Amino acid sequence: MSASPLIQAIQARLALAGYSVLPTPFRIAGVEFAFTGAMRGRDGRALDLILLIDTTTGDFGDRDPARVRQRIEALSRALDVTGSRYVVTAILAGAVLAEGIETLSETCRVLQVDGIALNAEGEPVDAVTARQLDDRIRVLLPLTLPEAVTPAQDGSASAIEQLTRVLPTTTNPALVEALIAGSEKGEQAVTDAAALVISGAFTVVPGEIAP
Amino acid sequence: MSELNLQGLDITNFRSIRGHIHAPLDAKVVLVHGENGAGKTSLLSAIELALTGGVQSLLRADPAYAKQLLHRSAEEGSVQLKCLDGGNAREFGVTLTASGLGAASALGEPLAGFFRERTFLPQSLLGQLLQIYQESGNDADSPLARFVGKLLGLDRLDTLEAGLKPFGDVRNVRKNVDGWLEAENEKARLDRLLVDQRKIHSTADEAAKTALAELAVLCKDLGLPTEIAEASLDEVARALEDATDAGEHSELADQQRQLGAIQREITAAQSALPTDGLASHGDAQGAADRYAHWEAEYGGRLSALRQRIDVLLPDASLPSDPEAFSTAALARLRTEQTQLAEQSVRARADIERHAAAQNERDVALKQRDTIDGEVALLSTSAGSLGSAIAELTSFITDDICPVCDRDFSVMNAGSLSDHVHNKVRTLSASAERLLTLGRSRSEAQVTAERLDRELETLAARSLTAEVIAETERRAGAVSTVVSELDGLAAALAEGTLLRTADVAARRIVTESQSRHVSLAAAGETLNTFALSIGAPPLAQGESFEAAVSRLGQQLAGEASRLEGRLTLRRKGVDLVSAVRAAVTRRQEVNERLKADQAAWGRADAGLQGAQVLRDQSNAIRAAVDTVRSSIIRREFNNRLNLLWRDLFVRLAPGEPFVPAFRIPVAETQRLQPKLITEHRDGGDAGGTPGAMLSAGNLNTAALTLFIALHLSVPKELPWLILDDPVQSMDDVHIAHFAALLRTLSKEHGRQVMIAVHDRQLFEYLKLELSPAFPEDSLLTLELSRGSRRDTLCVSRRFAFKEETALLSAA
Repeated sequence: MSASPLIQAIQARLALAGYSVLPTPFRIAGVEFAFTGAMRGRDGRALDLILLIDTTTGDFGDRDPARVRQRIEALSRALDVTGSRYVVTAILAGAVLAEGIETLSETCRVLQVDGIALNAEGEPVDAVTARQLDDRIRVLLPLTLPEAVTPAQDGSASAIEQLTRVLPTTTNPALVEALIAGSEKGEQAVTDAAALVISGAFTVVPGEIAP
Repeated sequence: MSELNLQGLDITNFRSIRGHIHAPLDAKVVLVHGENGAGKTSLLSAIELALTGGVQSLLRADPAYAKQLLHRSAEEGSVQLKCLDGGNAREFGVTLTASGLGAASALGEPLAGFFRERTFLPQSLLGQLLQIYQESGNDADSPLARFVGKLLGLDRLDTLEAGLKPFGDVRNVRKNVDGWLEAENEKARLDRLLVDQRKIHSTADEAAKTALAELAVLCKDLGLPTEIAEASLDEVARALEDATDAGEHSELADQQRQLGAIQREITAAQSALPTDGLASHGDAQGAADRYAHWEAEYGGRLSALRQRIDVLLPDASLPSDPEAFSTAALARLRTEQTQLAEQSVRARADIERHAAAQNERDVALKQRDTIDGEVALLSTSAGSLGSAIAELTSFITDDICPVCDRDFSVMNAGSLSDHVHNKVRTLSASAERLLTLGRSRSEAQVTAERLDRELETLAARSLTAEVIAETERRAGAVSTVVSELDGLAAALAEGTLLRTADVAARRIVTESQSRHVSLAAAGETLNTFALSIGAPPLAQGESFEAAVSRLGQQLAGEASRLEGRLTLRRKGVDLVSAVRAAVTRRQEVNERLKADQAAWGRADAGLQGAQVLRDQSNAIRAAVDTVRSSIIRREFNNRLNLLWRDLFVRLAPGEPFVPAFRIPVAETQRLQPKLITEHRDGGDAGGTPGAMLSAGNLNTAALTLFIALHLSVPKELPWLILDDPVQSMDDVHIAHFAALLRTLSKEHGRQVMIAVHDRQLFEYLKLELSPAFPEDSLLTLELSRGSRRDTLCVSRRFAFKEETALLSAA
């Protein structure tokens, strides 16, 4: 049985993300379950069980929301019975009614993939389309964090520290200290602190004879 | 960075937790469940208190919250948090008493700040996030800007920037920095003073130089070998006062008289030539009679006059011939008269100027005193008082004074607002007046000082009254003599004629008798005389007249030379004293200049030092701007928005609009983030999240923003502690949220701690966050309490269990 290009594209993307294909039909608690496709994760996602449902061309009653729900409910009951901790995610590939998703989501996590333009090889036509596909199933994909920054530009170092780092070394340390201390107390405190340090320049230097 | 792991928490009598509970925390995921009021929030805030020494959300609500931390039924309590730092156990904690917090051992900054800002999401903060979305404005003071600014630590930068703003404008600097304006004024005053003094100095210097140059020319003319310089003035003066020339001059006068006598002898001897002896004898008798007659009439007066002139002009050697005498004496006397007149005129002018200058100085001093008086009357704070009162005007609506609440209309002096406006006008006029007065005062001061100096100069050269009187007496005597001489001119001319005639006649007689003897003797005398004055003796065949005139000419030349020299010497002495006066003045000015220069230097150094500091303040302000811009751009555009979008899409895959911050590209004065929504697939931006997203998705946006802020920086503390974050999310989101939590826990090493009140959600999360691999772990804590008993905390640990259900399949 050959799956639809959309199902193939989803499976390819999930395989890339570390999921492996489960042969169907499979049996749980002695009950046989047949789905258009099934995948499971590994490591941190080892408990993820993904069911692929082709709402456009699929077999096993995929095109009938009621039968899809029945099958998934039966699966979850079987999982419950065996004390399994599998978490089921159903991916609905193709158009589907909103109420269908709603009823289904009482039983499991539901993701819907629709309207992804694919080329002849069953791959997304361009980067935008690829991202659209990713967006639909993103919750299953690994999370990529932004590149770590070098400690010198470290955003977590306090803003004041970053400020003191960029100041020229010739800057009067008393002035900087007074300003930073003042910045905790508000604008006026900063102004007053700066004014105090500056007016210090007018006091007679010790050793000089006062006029 | 240390990898701190939470291990366990001991709480005694903290907030709503009564008694002691122990909560193990050593699992990758800790799920806390309890009914509302069971102490979930207390448990989580206990962690914050132990780690940071405070509870920020309570601080915001009540600055004195520390006293409320102890459970109301207890007298003491404590919070102890155990962590594992690599292999080392670390403990944080604080004791609680009824009066507040006791001894604490908390994390230092910046880790504590990281915990507060990026690790712990208390319910109040989530509430605040939502409020921020709904009220977000665009200005820098919007709650959003304040919150994000605070989260990024920008508020202090904003404060610095705003506080340093006044130092960009020198007018504000004058207002804010004590001593700045005074230093500027002092410096300007000294500047003017210095310019004046330098002018005086250069004038004096110029005068000294001119006089010295003149003196040099003069000394060269006089042939004085002395070097002419200010230092050798004494020497020059001594050389000028040398009496040699005067001595020579009087000697020469003697010689001239001698020559005259010789000449007379010779003439007498010659005139006695016996050509017309008898006739001339009669003539001689007549001439003698006529001359005697004239002599009887004028001789007394003439000799008296001559005596007086000798007294007046002791140096002069006047000829004996009446007319020649009169001519020479008149010339000398007129010169003397002119000099005396000039002297007295100058003396009088000096006296008048002295008096006038004194008056002018008195006026200047009085002006200064008047200004001082007025300044003393004007309050220096008039300007600020004026502006303060001006602000009051907006509170004045009727005649009731907003300050004292009395009715102004009883004063019968117009309306209160008119009165206040007038007062403000008066005060601001006073402030302006003060500036004007300051300027006028320094002008008056400079004038007074200039007049003082002039007075000193005048006093130095003023002559005493006696000297002036003497001069005038002398001038009077001279003019009397002159007029008498003028009156006698005709008589003297006649006297001369008569005398000549008489002398001629007598000479004819005598000479005729003694010509040969006399002539020979005279010739001898003349020869001797010529030798004595250093002239060649009589040549062979040279007539007596020629010789006499030759000698006379030589003597006259010598006399005029010596007279010239004497004049030059007098002038030289004058010049020396002029140079001395100029040097003295220059020295005085120099000293004053030195003192003022030092004062100026001090003022200038102060101002320069202050200016350097002011420049640095402005540089700091510029640096603040740069740092802030870089933080904002880095945080928002490159990292936060990308991450936020990813997280948001995870939780709301069906929502086409995703929230984002838009930051103006230009250098920002202050943080002005704008919240927008973007269409997920690109295209134009939508409206604000409040307008574009449903309530559930707004909540999602807030929650994902917090997680994005946590994830967008290096993980200094690998924890995410969330207090009941899913109150209003629908079921779809909760399933996705659970998946996100699992991703964070199992793929990004975050120790996740989450408190929920909903039983169903708790059960669901327990399933979703179950251990997925051997090292994975899950802890659940269930809090409960009764009205009479202590709080109970039941913990359950879930270990990894191999899934077998699917293995049997296929």
